[in-house]
Amino acid sequence: MHLIETRNLTYTYPGNVTGLDGVNFIAPRNARIAVIGANGAGKSTLFKHFNGIFKPTSGSVLVRGEPITRENIREVRRFVGVVFQNPDDQIFSPTVEQDVAFGPINLGLDEETIHHRVEEALRVVGIEHLKDRVPHHLSGGEKKRVAIAGIIAMEPQVLVLDEPTAGLDPQGVRDLVGFINSLSRNYGMTVIFSTHDVSLVPEVADIIYVMHRGRVVAEGDCDEIFTRPDLLSSVRLDVPVLPKLISSLRDQGVDITMAYTFTEAEKQFLAAYRRNA
Amino acid sequence: MIEDLFFIEKQTYRRSLIHELDARVKIVVCFAVIVAIVATPYSPLVFPVAGTFAVFLLVLWLLARLSPVVYAKRLVMILPFGLFIILVQVFVQNPYYAVFTPIADLPLGLHIYRESVEFATILLLKFLVCISFIILLSSTTKVQDLLEGAGRLGLPAEFTLTLGMMIRYVYVFGYMYRKINEALATRHFGPFDSRLPYRYRLRTLAYTIGTLFIRSYEQGERTYTAMLCRGYGRESHLYIRKKPVLWRDCAFLGCGLAVAVCTPVIFWLSSIGLV
Repeated sequence: MHLIETRNLTYTYPGNVTGLDGVNFIAPRNARIAVIGANGAGKSTLFKHFNGIFKPTSGSVLVRGEPITRENIREVRRFVGVVFQNPDDQIFSPTVEQDVAFGPINLGLDEETIHHRVEEALRVVGIEHLKDRVPHHLSGGEKKRVAIAGIIAMEPQVLVLDEPTAGLDPQGVRDLVGFINSLSRNYGMTVIFSTHDVSLVPEVADIIYVMHRGRVVAEGDCDEIFTRPDLLSSVRLDVPVLPKLISSLRDQGVDITMAYTFTEAEKQFLAAYRRNA
Repeated sequence: MIEDLFFIEKQTYRRSLIHELDARVKIVVCFAVIVAIVATPYSPLVFPVAGTFAVFLLVLWLLARLSPVVYAKRLVMILPFGLFIILVQVFVQNPYYAVFTPIADLPLGLHIYRESVEFATILLLKFLVCISFIILLSSTTKVQDLLEGAGRLGLPAEFTLTLGMMIRYVYVFGYMYRKINEALATRHFGPFDSRLPYRYRLRTLAYTIGTLFIRSYEQGERTYTAMLCRGYGRESHLYIRKKPVLWRDCAFLGCGLAVAVCTPVIFWLSSIGLV
């Protein structure tokens, strides 16, 4: 049984605009899943189906094997936490602490547990020192962390991040990469995120879904996706710079093994250098 | 007006004895003074009571180490709302006096009465004391602390949650308004720039305000969606941690309540010859 599964999911916006067209998507346990695609590909629309914000026009969404109904919607939203692209949409309380506590309160937890969850969520995202601050005094990156902490405090099994790197500086992106990896490694969570920053994907994803005009046009791991430059360019994306460079060197006769992450690429470059030295 | 929001907020982040007091005691003392001045009967007794409260306010203002300009600026903003109602009183009779003595006759059968002037002055003093203490409270207490304080004092959860969201989004829209203004200024648009046609300026401003309304509607939709994602329901409320009241806060509460209660009582007793 998969944590989340969509079967032939189709969604049409008012005005007969197709948002999703026959999407089949699977989120297994303890996986890091990237959904990549250009603007308007349908990534956010897909995510809004995972916790019942949008209802399918046709097809189905199964969470732990069960369809989303009025009866289980609260449980589904506790199980699948969605972090929106713009933190100002999600942070609606006067202080950071109150905002992070909003979800646990709605779960009907007692005060001591709420306090513990808030402290823990703030610690996980590294913003304990911002507890008493007001959201409008925070930077974009800090607000993003507060939004994530607000979801983490509900202890979901699946964390869905819509364009998590949008508006972050390079250090913010590095922190986020470490954070996503730690959620999967330390807490066994499944993390699903969307991006059109393909260079980020090899560092944080085991499974990649490529979307274009509401359809999933490809799925697989880095090897299966990033070795298809024609496919990526046809959906207005590109191959990340490291595999692109290695591929170009290989085409020019350099004996080097393909790599996708910085650490792997460094290793392969050094190995190639030693072979040729 | 929006910039005043940030101006007020800036004052609340200063450090002083009054700023550091628990919001609850400040709310209680402030409302005690308001209730005391409002409850003082419409009579010349109000003059010494209001005078004493003014001295009390002055002491608190000095302890808060705030500039008098802060008070003056905020008073000027609020004054027009009450001043009109008070000015009208000069020309009309009221139920607090039996006999009215005209001191000036005006066209259209209007008269200014000595008793009405006295009544208007009393009303003005009451109004000034009330808003002065509200200015003091809101200049020395962060808005989120005010909300938490009110929540700890028993303000219902429905109000704290709604007010909390209002506070949050007032600032979001404050920043949005700033950005819109900067975007207009970047392209050399000024609402008071007489080189631009009047109708054009009016139309641009109308579009801007319309855009702000649409954006606030859209923001509301997105926020509601985000609330649903986090399990928003009938039981939702704002998280307010328990907080002990320190001895310093208790001392201020005692002194403040003593001033608020004793001032009108002592002057009333002295007016009937008991003190």
